[in-house]
Amino acid sequence: MDTSATPATDPRTEHVLEVDSIVTRFGAEAIHDGVSFKVRRGEVVALIGSSGTGKSVLVKEIIGLMRPTAGAIRLLGTDVWSASQDQLNALRRRFGMLFQDGALFSSLTVAENIFVPFHEHTDLPAALIPPLVGFKLALVGLPPEAGTKTPAELSGGMRKRVALARALALEPEILFLDEPTSGLDPISARAFDHLVRVLSDSLGLTVFIVTHDLDTLLSIVDRTIVLSEGKVIADGQVDAVRKLEAPWIKSYFSARA
Amino acid sequence: MSEAGPWIRHQVEDGASVLYLTGVWRLSNVTAIADALQSLGLRVRRQFVLDGSNLHEIDTAAGFTLYRHLAAIGCSASTVSVRGFDRRHERLLALVHERMTCPPAASRSVHRGLTRRIGAAAMHVWELLMSQTAFVGSVAVELLALVRRPRLFRLKETVSQFETICLDAIPIAALVTFLIGVVFAYLLGLQAQRYGANIFIVDGVGLAICRELSPLLVAVIVAGRSGAAFTAQIGTMKVQEEIDAISTLGLSPIQVLVIPRLVAIAIALPLLVFVGDLAGILGGVLVGELQLDISAVTFFDRLHSVLPMSAPVVGLVKAPVFAAFIALIACRMGLLVSRDARSVGVNTTSTVVQSIVWVILLDAIFAVVFQRLDI
Repeated sequence: MDTSATPATDPRTEHVLEVDSIVTRFGAEAIHDGVSFKVRRGEVVALIGSSGTGKSVLVKEIIGLMRPTAGAIRLLGTDVWSASQDQLNALRRRFGMLFQDGALFSSLTVAENIFVPFHEHTDLPAALIPPLVGFKLALVGLPPEAGTKTPAELSGGMRKRVALARALALEPEILFLDEPTSGLDPISARAFDHLVRVLSDSLGLTVFIVTHDLDTLLSIVDRTIVLSEGKVIADGQVDAVRKLEAPWIKSYFSARA
Repeated sequence: MSEAGPWIRHQVEDGASVLYLTGVWRLSNVTAIADALQSLGLRVRRQFVLDGSNLHEIDTAAGFTLYRHLAAIGCSASTVSVRGFDRRHERLLALVHERMTCPPAASRSVHRGLTRRIGAAAMHVWELLMSQTAFVGSVAVELLALVRRPRLFRLKETVSQFETICLDAIPIAALVTFLIGVVFAYLLGLQAQRYGANIFIVDGVGLAICRELSPLLVAVIVAGRSGAAFTAQIGTMKVQEEIDAISTLGLSPIQVLVIPRLVAIAIALPLLVFVGDLAGILGGVLVGELQLDISAVTFFDRLHSVLPMSAPVVGLVKAPVFAAFIALIACRMGLLVSRDARSVGVNTTSTVVQSIVWVILLDAIFAVVFQRLDI
């Protein structure tokens, strides 16, 4: 039985993610050269930058899949790269990750995909899990019939929703999204953005989005961090950032036909 | 008033059922919460009020469990109201309630009796046969197209495949047939020695190796090496949509992928069988020298006089047939690969098994045919 509540800090100022002077080098090339920022609980933050600036690499370093050359990352109070295996596993239950193409298990059905985190990390009795899986599907706007399909039978938009449902299975405190709207038509993309915002507002979820999508940025994001040439060149509210004089920022925000 | 653990307290106030939620309502506690709700034995009333003033935390799984229980005992949206909740918790409960749907209907389990299963299997085999024939047909059409327009033939690709199939397989084909030659000669020798008829192992080894053992073993090795490789390569290309890309560029995937492999293996296998023949016979020579008092010179002398020309020729005639089957099965299974993670592995295994079975089947057919033709 788990009666521990999360630490009683003021939700408005608690930092759920602290990235401190990250340096990442592949051979002679430094992709990140001193990247630092903080994310507060409940914020929807977007990480933007031109292709190849190492945004996806940074997310992988934050969630413990790739090791940075130097620097520290504190996620939900735990130092990711000096934690023990047990601490890391406990940490992994507190965040959810949506990979760029969903990364669903291709040999399992949708329902079985969402079943995996419940099966591995909880001891819910078998009778309680199917309704919960059905609810997670409903939460992301999918009909219960989607549960019997395999990922190969789904469209790109549906795959991403299933992946989101799987990421939300264990009630995470922070959600990482890697280019969630890439490959979606404008209607599906906006619907997905809206879903993310609603979930964040209702569940108090912190959301960290790596994106190229200008519409996402302008509609649902509280704060944006701009990565360019290995450093953070801007960090603040979207309206403030778009007024900055840096050349990349200017061309990014005016890159509309 | 009734209490169920540290989770929930039930009290009737002014004719309405009030449920006081307390503690940490989280996924990790859902089992306990569900049990607690059951033990309260609630029945539907005019009004249900959820009081969250003592609630530390709630997440969607716990909220869903609560609402589901209420719906199961017959409450509807209009009979349930909330009070005393933190704003965040209230928003969460509103979201949960909004998104809840009826539980998915259990998929009907189709119990298939024996007749149905036999019928389904028969249909499946028929479809399989039809699609195999169609594939062989398309390959034949493409080969015909080659005859009319030899320019279409992809020489570089074929030579590259040939190198992989043949040259890289020579050591292993030679080794295996050499060892089989040794074993066979040794066994024959044991028998022949009893009658003082050592020299006759030359006849036995020559005939067995050239007619049967070398073609069969080399075909099995090539099926395992190259057949599996074809299926894996073509299968991975299929998953990555490279085959579609080939078609879109106006090329035929069969011309680009299948025909070079088919031609390469049809040329390579007879050559490998020949290498096998030599290696197998050398194995026999070794045993003759070491065990049976037959010098190499004597061995080859006798071999020259007793080995019929038909023996190696028969072996070399079987080889292209084996090769064609292996190539067609391997390429077909590669093109059938689907987009899930297991598919490449499953199809590769199937290629190897099918190829080996077909090679042995064909060998048996050849044996009968040649026996009838007195070859």
